[in-house]
Amino acid sequence: MMKGPSGPATTVASAAPVLRIGAVSKFFGTFKVLEDCTLDVAEGEIVTLLGPSGCGKTTLLRCIAGFWEANGGTIEIDGQHMFRVPVNRRPVGVVFQSYALFPHLTVARNVGYALRMRGLPRAEAKARVAEALDTVSLTGFEDRYPAQLSGGQQQRVAIARILVMEPRVLLLDEPFNALDAKLRGTMQVELRLLIKRLGLTSIFVTHDQEEALTMSDRIAVMRAGCIEQVAAPDEIFDRPATAYVADFIGTSNFWSARAEGGLVRLPDGQTASTVLKGEVRVMVRPHNLRLDAAGQGPWQGRVAFHRSVGPLVEYHVEIEGGMTLRVATMRQSANRPIRDDASVSIAVVDPALCAVYPG
Amino acid sequence: MIRHRLFPLSDLLGLGLIHAVAIFSLVLLVAPSIIVVIISFDTRAYVSFPPEGFTFRWYAEVFDKGELVEAMLNSLQVGLTVTLLCIVLGVPTALACVRGRFRGTTALSVFVLVPHMVPGIVLGVAVLFAGSLVGVVPSIWLQSIAITVFILAVMVRTVQSRLMRLDPALEEAAANLRATPFQSLRTVTLPLLMPAILAGAVFTFVEGFDNLSVAIFTHGFRDRPLPVELLALVQYTSSPLVAAVSGVQIVLAIAALVAVSMSIGLDNVNE
Repeated sequence: MMKGPSGPATTVASAAPVLRIGAVSKFFGTFKVLEDCTLDVAEGEIVTLLGPSGCGKTTLLRCIAGFWEANGGTIEIDGQHMFRVPVNRRPVGVVFQSYALFPHLTVARNVGYALRMRGLPRAEAKARVAEALDTVSLTGFEDRYPAQLSGGQQQRVAIARILVMEPRVLLLDEPFNALDAKLRGTMQVELRLLIKRLGLTSIFVTHDQEEALTMSDRIAVMRAGCIEQVAAPDEIFDRPATAYVADFIGTSNFWSARAEGGLVRLPDGQTASTVLKGEVRVMVRPHNLRLDAAGQGPWQGRVAFHRSVGPLVEYHVEIEGGMTLRVATMRQSANRPIRDDASVSIAVVDPALCAVYPG
Repeated sequence: MIRHRLFPLSDLLGLGLIHAVAIFSLVLLVAPSIIVVIISFDTRAYVSFPPEGFTFRWYAEVFDKGELVEAMLNSLQVGLTVTLLCIVLGVPTALACVRGRFRGTTALSVFVLVPHMVPGIVLGVAVLFAGSLVGVVPSIWLQSIAITVFILAVMVRTVQSRLMRLDPALEEAAANLRATPFQSLRTVTLPLLMPAILAGAVFTFVEGFDNLSVAIFTHGFRDRPLPVELLALVQYTSSPLVAAVSGVQIVLAIAALVAVSMSIGLDNVNE
């Protein structure tokens, strides 16, 4: 099977990218679904296309697979242009949202489908089917029909079916949507480990930020047909390039301020640096704020509501101007959470982790 | 008490009404068939109810009478021809209507449906006149073609509705898994359409075998189909012979239904 290096989580700059997407655009009639999308994916890398429904992430995936032809730009796999290359000649494998297993074929015949279409000798095909089923731990399920499998098993058949044809690029279209919430978490980790072990270059499409943070080496956040930021999950979370990305990933607090001389004054008296001037918006994550029940700092608020979410306590703090701040602190058994209705003073833990965007 | 709150009086009345109508319709539909079967075993040489004795005489006579057996064979041939033509023409048409990416898929779908909306007699007369204009005389082939035109819509609709409920990702997956369009059709689409095609085949065969309105104007002079032969029979005789022929047909119909329900299930036919 495909034995690739389980590469580092960052792009290997020296190697040529396996998949190059260059300024791809796609129209439906006059409606622009994709606009100048550019993205390189390195060998063995998992890149997630993340965005709300209708942002064009599935459209981009379908253009790479060849179900739709892009109207502009280039798609290259291993330096080969994919323009006008029919679906069945592209070295890509697609895991569909519905898995699209053939209901009238057994697991073994589903997995062997691509080999039969290519006319591989029966003995060799059988060996490769067995190998693929072994890879996804489904040995012994050869004679079952898809309807007799659980959602997780169906997903693994869908992956095995693609593994046998050794594609260069794996495309996954929201593959966890059909699973129940409890199973998703474990399947995400399992799938990431499997793909990494096989060293498959992958594009993963989802609208779920948690899935994206779990699965990806890099995340491409999409908005209205454009790629807004491409970066590693930590980078996206800690240093979102735009207010849109900050808002889409994780919880964030925004307020307006004025920047002067490369500095923005925060309401608690500290300063954050910025290259911007004039009206700006400042973003701070809930875990970068600290509450003090007895504090007399310059930034005062009132706890409107609090709740315990696992190891965290989340506060909704009303501040001047009718705004509500979200604050998250680690739950400590020693001290009780601050009561609702209590007056608190608020402070930013690390001003360097405040993001500043144009106002 | 609780049952009353769950089912208020008006609901109970409604349910009762629905059941009454259903039972009434069932009796209305099934009773004539049962009476015909009963009559077919009567010993008397004329149609009357209730019967006075029991005999297989009329069934024996059906198979002794050369023209009735021949008519049955003719109808069988028409039924098979119509079914074959409907599969060959109907399945590609349904594929084109649902999966086609050209203008006019709706027009095509309506075009196929129109002959089915025209009364069979009108269609029969039209085919007869049109045939005589171009020098085609009525024959078993003209009859088969005319009934095909009349019933094609049923095959197309049956296959269409199944096709519309197929996950389009299945065909995309086939293409992604290296299948050419033809391979994808052969290994994925057609096998998944098979229940609908079989259901359509049953409907079209029955129509081909049984149709009178179109057949009466288009059948060949020497190749009389069973319905036409039966019509002649009831016009000139009133023996239970006709009932016996009906009995044979009912047995065939039940056999077909059982065969379909055993192989693909009636749920698949009813879509």
